[in-house]
Order: sequence, then structure tokens, then C-alpha cells
Amino acid sequence: MFRFRLYWTFTKKAFLRSAVYRFDVWSRLGSNLIFLLMWGSIWTALYAGREEAGGVSFEAMLTYIVVSQFLTGVNGAGTPLWDIQEKVRTGDISLELMRPFDVPLRYLFADFGSVAFYILTALLPLYTVLFIFMDLTLPDSWQTWVLFIISAFIGFLIRYCIEMSFGLLSFFLVETGGIVDIFYFAMSLLSGSVIPLWFFPGWLEKMALYLPFQGIYYIPNAIFIGEISGSAILLSLGIQLFWVGVCYLLLRLVWNRASHKVVVQGG
Amino acid sequence: MMIIEVEHLMKDFMVAKRETGLLGAMKSLVKREHIKKEAVKDISFSIEEGEMVGYIGPNGAGKSTTIKMLTGILVPSSGKVKVNGIVPYENRQKNAKNIGVVFGQRTQLWWDLPTIESFELLKEIYQVSNKRYKENMDTFTEILGLDEFLNTPVRQLSLGQRMRADIAASLLHDPPILFLDEPTIGLDVVAKEKMRTFIKEINNERKITVILTTHDMEDIEKLCERMILIDHGQKVYDGEMAVVKEKFGKNRILIVDLEESSHRLKVTGGEVFKEESSRFWIRFNRDAVSASELIAQITKTHNIKDLTVEEPEIESIISRIYQEGYQNLPETVKV
Ligand SMILES: Nc1ncnc2c1ncn2[C@@H]1O[C@H](COP(=O)(O)OP(=O)(O)O)[C@@H](O)[C@H]1O
Ligand SMILES: [Mg+2]
Repeated sequence: MFRFRLYWTFTKKAFLRSAVYRFDVWSRLGSNLIFLLMWGSIWTALYAGREEAGGVSFEAMLTYIVVSQFLTGVNGAGTPLWDIQEKVRTGDISLELMRPFDVPLRYLFADFGSVAFYILTALLPLYTVLFIFMDLTLPDSWQTWVLFIISAFIGFLIRYCIEMSFGLLSFFLVETGGIVDIFYFAMSLLSGSVIPLWFFPGWLEKMALYLPFQGIYYIPNAIFIGEISGSAILLSLGIQLFWVGVCYLLLRLVWNRASHKVVVQGG
Repeated sequence: MMIIEVEHLMKDFMVAKRETGLLGAMKSLVKREHIKKEAVKDISFSIEEGEMVGYIGPNGAGKSTTIKMLTGILVPSSGKVKVNGIVPYENRQKNAKNIGVVFGQRTQLWWDLPTIESFELLKEIYQVSNKRYKENMDTFTEILGLDEFLNTPVRQLSLGQRMRADIAASLLHDPPILFLDEPTIGLDVVAKEKMRTFIKEINNERKITVILTTHDMEDIEKLCERMILIDHGQKVYDGEMAVVKEKFGKNRILIVDLEESSHRLKVTGGEVFKEESSRFWIRFNRDAVSASELIAQITKTHNIKDLTVEEPEIESIISRIYQEGYQNLPETVKV
């Protein structure tokens, strides 16, 4: 039985909690904006006045980066990797085994709350302004908007499952530096968050296409700018759904092993 | 009815052996050796509904490990546990509804939310009705003075406030059983006293079964009629507090204030172990000599201004039990 009301309460409380940390919201928004400026100027320099590169117009490329930075803000508002590791280390997560709820789901719903707060109070206002004042490509039909939102949401779930699984690995590893590096490498490069997959060398593109990370940034971004269009959108959503399924199973597996370890070895 | 039943309970932990030196470090990179640590060794007891039991032992005795097995977050290596008819580790979530738990060393409230938000969250988690929630909150607020910090984030609470919040939180869903693991640790005297009064009250009025671990002997003395004493993972005593006191508490302390100061005092049958100007502390064995005999002895040579006789602290009783070994223990009263 899924107790929606219970998990929804976590969403509400996390929303309120974010309101307490307003400074946090502003500083994150600040760094988000700085990265946006940085990637924007890098891509402007790379295009060097050309109208298009690799079959993609400069305007579309700039849009890709802006949307990507928006989604980075969304994904970054959830419980970050280091925080999960910290909760493992302090035993907070082990103690939650004592409660009548499912722990990975409870964190997901809490993340919905913090993300919603961040979107409403910071990301939407900023990016609305950006879209008004910059020359960017907007989807021409409302269907594309809807498909983009669905795709971005699935991407969020994929990222959540992967980040949580990586965080829970702290139950098994004493040193987690390597894990953190792999995670951030995959999140920034293989996901296509700063360089679209079509600019990758062939072998790397192939590799990225066989991994779940493209589902987090590349697919929703490409849908937004029309790089993926028509029936290809449905195929991409299918790929995302496949990966969210796989990543969810991975998370369940890691969580089962972790809770098993807690109850046998005492965390 | 026995609400808690524990039979031949054991818990071993595998602890990675620490290798010393460079060679050791290299070796442990390849293969770690583990040694078995027996945290709980063959403990059995049962507890009746409504009892308040002190689960006592020095640091590392296995108290928290036992409590964790009762809550279901640890699986026993062997033996049986039943809490309100449920095997905790097989049915952790169902067991959770029957128990309230407070770990003195850590809060179970949400660290950065105002205290009241944690309570509201727990209300949803345990599906407490609005009416019951309000009743409980009113009661706890009155006895524990929660209102002074309900809107403060948990991380800003003083230890005493946090403990009050934690114990109230553990009782919101009216659990029939309460586990308190070191609930007074680190508290000052006043806060300890408040806590004890509250624990006593909920045990009396709500008939909640309480297991309380502590190494604060005053807690036990004030709260528990029954104590289970454990050491090195084994049960060494299980029975009434009064019996332990009777058997091991034969020492009494006579404190006398003399009219004139700086007098040396000698008494036969008693031992002066402390003196401060004109005040003397004399330890004596109640079976060998009576207080009035001692007083008579002293009045022959001195003028007594004031005197008191003190019972021994349970602390010294326990340390005597440890020192003298367990063979002198009175027969276990309850098994
Ligand atoms: N997760 C664990 N892994 C290894 N050893 C542990 C673990 N938890 C407890 N122990 C050991 O088991 C013994 C009992 O611990 P504990 O139950 O916490 O004692 P107490 O609560 O009575 O102070 C101690 O020696 C402790 O070091
Ligand atoms: Mg302990």
C-alpha cells in the first residue's frame, strides 16, 4: 500500500525547510548564473561568429546551454551526493530503518519539495527573464513543451536513482573519493550537460548513447531545441523510461544490500 | 501477559582486525582479517506489561545492542526476540508502531526543521488522528514545557530541550512500549529530574512498558523496581532493586558534626574515610554494629552537634558486585 499522504508530507516539509535556507537559494542561483555565463561565452567563442556548427545553429546551441543550466539547477536542488554520504556516515539513514516508511521514496518526495521551492522562487523568474531578453529558440508547439517537461522529469528521476545509489555506496566503502569523481564526471560529461553528444568523437558518443546519463540532460535539451523531433521523441522517451527502470532497480538493489548490512553489521 | 520476551539472545559483530606497521597495512589491502566480537551473549529475560525495567551495565556492556535488536534495526545472530507478539526484525515497520524509542546520544527529530514540524511529520508517519495528536501535544507541552522551543529548529535546542522534544516525539503515536537508551546522558541535575518525573508519570498513568538503559545509578534508584544488570554481554543479575540493596547495601554512612573542630576521631566498628573541619564521614557495616552504638561511642569523648545516616549509593553497590564477582549475587528473582 502506497501512503501518498505520508510521502506528500515530506514534500511539504522540505518545501518549508527550503524557505528557511533562503541564503542557500540565492547563493546557488548565483553560481548557477555564473556557470551559465561561462558556458555561454565558451560556446560563443567556439562558434566564432559562424551561424552554425555540426548542423546546429548558434541560436539553438545557446538555447541548449541555457536549458541545460536550468535543468542543472533543478537537479542540484535535490539531496546532493555528499549529503547522502554524510547521512550514511552519521547513521541517520540507518535509524530511519526504524520508521514505518520506505527510505529511498521518502528522500525522493522530500526532494520534490526542495526542488519545487527552488524552481518557483529562483529558477523560473530568472530563466523567464533570460528567455525574454535573449535570442533563443523556443519550441514551436505546446506538444513539444509537454514532451520536454515529461522528458526532464524522467531525467530527474534517473539522476535521483543514480545519485542515491552512489551515495549509499558509502555503506560499503571506507574511502569514497573515487566514487565521487566518477559520479561527477558522468554527470557533467556523459550526460551532455555542457557539450551536446553530437560534438563528441564517435567512440565517446557511442559510449554515451549506451549509458543512462544522456537521459538526464541531453535528451530533454535536444527535444527542447528540436534536435530530436517527430517520432524520434517517442523513441528517446522510451530510452529514458528504460533507463529509469534500470536505475530504479539498481537503487533498490543497493538499498537492500545497505539495509541488510545495517541490520546484520550494525551500519 | 509478557509483552517482551527474549530467549538466548546473541549478537556477534565481525570487526576488521587492525594490522600494525607497513606490512600490516599492505596485507589488509589484499585481505582483511576479521575477529568476532560478542556484544550480547546468551541473554534471556521477559517483561510484563506495564513494568519499568532498568537495563544497566558499564559502557560497552551490550545495552544499546540489545535495544537495537528489540527495535528490529539489528538482527540477532541467534536466539529469539518477541515484542508485543511480533518478531521485530521480521516485521520492522509493524513493530515500529508499537514502540517509542529515544537514543540519548542522538536525536531522531529532523535536524533543521523547527521542532513542531518534526512532530507534525511524525503525526503523518504514524497516522495519528488530529484529536489524539492535539491531546498528546497538550499533555506533553504541559509536563515538558515544550512551548518554549516549539518553533526553534532542533539543531538550536539545548541538550535538555532536545531530550524533552525527543521523548515527546517518541510517544506521539501512543506506543505501548518505550525504549529509552541513556535518556539522561549529559543532562544537568534539574533536567535529569524533570526527565525522571516525566518517565515515571507516563509509566504510571499510561501503563506504558518501559525499558531504560543507563549507567546513571540515580536513574535506576529513582525509577525502577526491577533491574537487569549486564556486563560483557551477559546477564549477571535480574531482579528487584530492593533485593540488591538489601544484600549488597549493608554499608551505611554516618555523618557527624562535632561542636569543637580539629579533633581527631576514632571509632571501633567504623571507618572514618573523609573529614572536613568538624564534620566526619564514617562507614560502617549495619550487621556488625548499629548506628546508635557508634553514636554512643562518639558522645563519650565528643559533643555531637548534628548527625545523619545515609544509605549507600547504588553506584557503590554495583561496583561492589563487579569487584566481588557474581557468585555472591542473590538468587535471580524473576527469570
Ligand atoms: N556495529 C558494530 N560493529 C562492531 N562492534 C560493535 C558494533 N556495535 C557495538 N559494538 C561493540 O559491541 C559492544 C557492545 O556495545 P553497545 O551495545 O553499544 O554497549 P553499551 O550500549 O552497553 O555501551 C561494544 O564492545 C561495542 O564496541
Ligand atoms: Mg549504549
